[in-house]
Amino acid sequence: MTEANEKSFEDNLNSGFKIFSPSRVMAIAMNTFTQLVRMKVFYFLLIFSVLIIGANVLFLNFTFEQELKILQDVSFGAMTLFASIFSIVGTALLIPKDIEDRTLYTILTKPVPRFEYLIGKLLGILFLVAVSLVLMSILFFAVLYIRQYGILAEETNQIRGQPTAEQLSSLKETIFSQGLRLELLNGVIAIFLKASVAAAIALVVSTFASSTLFTIIVSLVIYFIGHAQSMALTYYFPEGDMHGALQRFIAGIVAIMFPNLQMYNVVDGIVSGQSVPFALMARLTGLTGFYLVIYSFVSWILFAKKEL
Amino acid sequence: MSITIKSKIYRRGGMLISIAILIAFGFARIPLESKTEEHLKKYGFRDWAPDISAREQLTQASFIGAIGGFRSLIASVYDLRAHEAFRNKDWASVERFRKITTSLQPRFAKHWDLAAWDMAWNAYAYYRSRSEFCEDDLERWQIERIIMPNYLEKGLGFAKEGAAWTPESYLLPMVVGDIYSQKYKNTKLAAQWYFKSSQAEDAPTYIYRAYATQLARCEGMEKKAYEVVSDLYNNGKIRTLTIRRDMERLENYFIDDLMRNNSLDKLQRMLEENPSDYLISAAIGQFHLKSDSNLGSAVEAYRGILKNPKSPQFYRRQFGFLIARNPDNQENAYQVLKKMYIKAPVIFREKDVIELSNIENHLNIPSNERVTKIDRYTKE
Amino acid sequence: MSEDLIPAVKIENLTKTFPVPFRKEKVVAVDNLSLSVKQGEVYGLIGPNGSGKSTTMKVLLGLISATSGNSSVFGMNSTETASRGSVGFLPENPYFYKYLTGAETIAFYGKLCGINRKEIKERTNELLKLVELEGARDRRLAGYSKGMLQRIGLAQALVGRPKLVVLDEPTAGVDPAGSRKIRDLIMQLKEQGITVILSSHLLEQVQEVCDRVGIIFEGKLVREGSLQELIEIENQTELVLENSNPDLLEKIKKLINDQEGVNLIRSGKPKTTLETLFLRETGGESRDAKNDS
Repeated sequence: MTEANEKSFEDNLNSGFKIFSPSRVMAIAMNTFTQLVRMKVFYFLLIFSVLIIGANVLFLNFTFEQELKILQDVSFGAMTLFASIFSIVGTALLIPKDIEDRTLYTILTKPVPRFEYLIGKLLGILFLVAVSLVLMSILFFAVLYIRQYGILAEETNQIRGQPTAEQLSSLKETIFSQGLRLELLNGVIAIFLKASVAAAIALVVSTFASSTLFTIIVSLVIYFIGHAQSMALTYYFPEGDMHGALQRFIAGIVAIMFPNLQMYNVVDGIVSGQSVPFALMARLTGLTGFYLVIYSFVSWILFAKKEL
Repeated sequence: MSITIKSKIYRRGGMLISIAILIAFGFARIPLESKTEEHLKKYGFRDWAPDISAREQLTQASFIGAIGGFRSLIASVYDLRAHEAFRNKDWASVERFRKITTSLQPRFAKHWDLAAWDMAWNAYAYYRSRSEFCEDDLERWQIERIIMPNYLEKGLGFAKEGAAWTPESYLLPMVVGDIYSQKYKNTKLAAQWYFKSSQAEDAPTYIYRAYATQLARCEGMEKKAYEVVSDLYNNGKIRTLTIRRDMERLENYFIDDLMRNNSLDKLQRMLEENPSDYLISAAIGQFHLKSDSNLGSAVEAYRGILKNPKSPQFYRRQFGFLIARNPDNQENAYQVLKKMYIKAPVIFREKDVIELSNIENHLNIPSNERVTKIDRYTKE
Repeated sequence: MSEDLIPAVKIENLTKTFPVPFRKEKVVAVDNLSLSVKQGEVYGLIGPNGSGKSTTMKVLLGLISATSGNSSVFGMNSTETASRGSVGFLPENPYFYKYLTGAETIAFYGKLCGINRKEIKERTNELLKLVELEGARDRRLAGYSKGMLQRIGLAQALVGRPKLVVLDEPTAGVDPAGSRKIRDLIMQLKEQGITVILSSHLLEQVQEVCDRVGIIFEGKLVREGSLQELIEIENQTELVLENSNPDLLEKIKKLINDQEGVNLIRSGKPKTTLETLFLRETGGESRDAKNDS
């Protein structure tokens, strides 16, 4: 076998191969999305719609401020819950299932680099979470929109005599400022960003975990600690000299190793009327990107050496 | 590099490299996240600290939920629990749950509003009705002297703290004003708080009117009150009954003051210097009425007021009653007053309506033609 | 085949050990194994369970890394992802995404092989026709039988037009008719010049299709060679006669007896295979029938 032969053969084999192919990644992502959708995952939407409509109906006897607030609280709460659960459970299912069913072999024996497989899986789950949140938001905003006009009519009827234009416009402003507003979108985006980080965490764990259940449990623990992480940070930098060295050390480890998920909790403030400035949303988005890149990279390192 | 060495690195190094990357990442992101936390604090997203006292207040599930991003929802749940406790008249629980809702979401004005409402109105009213039916003197004393004031204070406390947390909102300062005006009857403090409330961007216009009303009742503040009330009377979008009455009362005060401190001659000289100051004319008119019973001069003085376009409407009514004092002119005066009453009943105070009714009695107006609906036999 | 051509597969001194948790000693799955598969040949890898066949295939396919030694596919190191552009793999008891239809499955794997959108539709139709699953193309894999899954597996293995196809127990659990089809397919691949590595317990079937065979036992390659060489009983000759008569048989026996050193070992009626009988009864074609025509 001559060297020339060998080289041209290798060229022939290599000619079709791209080191990074977005279409391969998209194929895996869309397959993941399809797989999860066809698992009838969207039935949860039914539960969600029942929840928010139920929330709406049950509290008609309260003040309109309370009613609008409860509607927003329940809707955001349901979105947060579903987005987090989907991210963790969905991601935790993917790789162990592929290994167990040996479908992973059929994929990785194609010219698919392992990191593309991981990114494709992650993108698929993120896409699913995004679509779910969009659908839930549409439903939520529609109910809120209808309800705020309903409240306006009710409150207007309660005014004695003929309400003046000033009274009407003041009432409308008061009601609508607590109803459907652009700021709510920031809440939805923050929920998505947090869910993305949760998915990335589950991805890392699933690359070395032996089963889906183990992945879910460990990811949930990390997810929970991530919410208390900022407490650990303040613990590490206490105002007084109250804590021992060991406690500070542990708090430091927690602050470094665990993600800070508390920073995504802006929904509470948004519901009570605060706004998230664009710069802050940009920061959160940037940090999320940072998390996703690093966690994906770590997943790749752990997965690259995994014996299948 | 051969497979052998590569796979050795992978096998042993993989986990270690990952941990190293995570540690490096941790160090890299901590300053970024601290900065983000600062921003979040600055914009009011870090009002609740998951500290020991918070942990003691809440159930474990609530605490976890509050940390987990469901703080607003947990607050709403406690809001509902407070409402339930209110229905059961369990005021201690109401207070406890209201403390929780306000600490979980201190920037939501309605939490503070409801807390103040439950304490200063609902609990207060409950105990007040209990004291009314209480046969035991000691218990009644306790309720009236200790419990009721205590709840007022708690309500005021909630409202003031809420006002501090929501400086951009009109609501809580207004509630403080309400407590001072309705419960403590402290018009000065009520006026101060209504004023503060009226300065908020979202303040409805009636708050400023409430401020004016309280100010008008503050002793020693008549001048300032008159500035505010006359501004509202002349330039305000709505001329409410209260503003009209306060305007009249304050002008009467200044008229009395002018009369007390000046002789007739001095008043006339002052009028010459300030012909457009109708208060002086009114003072002169009153002087003639009360001191020398000179109806004619009084009428002339009031005629001067009517010529002044700035003079409020109620002077027309006053003028009408002045004319009606003369029995010869009573019939004509009655016709004018009747038209005035039909067109603008708001300028007639209750005593004016009684006076009009007395005129109707005097003139023996048949009941189907009377404009006042008061019994024919009302005493003067 | 020119000796200058790169071997489709070349494994040199491959050793793979697995660590045992909490113990010092390791399990040696493959022990200094060397083999070579020429382009265009059908190579059978046989051995008992746990002999190291699967491990060897996994190293070849890049699923696990060798402890020492080399393996290459068409001259390219098998750890390189690019090497898999020329390989198609059908695992044992394959289980695909059951929520995809047959057509979607093939299209999915086609995209992973870099086939563009325009070509994918055509290629999918071609392969569905080849594996005779056109009727079930829009049915989800959850509703496929074992044999159908195996055929879809073959289709995905072939979607990228590989030059090397690795089949792990391709006919395990498949009925004789299906098994026959798979074997025919392998022969078709051979005719097209595609190299096939086949691992199976069903030795009869290996015997039918393979050019060369390697026997693995306890991680070592204990025997290797062309099928003819391996299973020919060298000093024996077989003669099968049709429409003969006893006189002729006697004459032949006498001839044999007259020859020194030659012994008649056995004579009698040859047996058909159970498979042939089965296929004949169920309407399929058997090898014997084919050979006869």
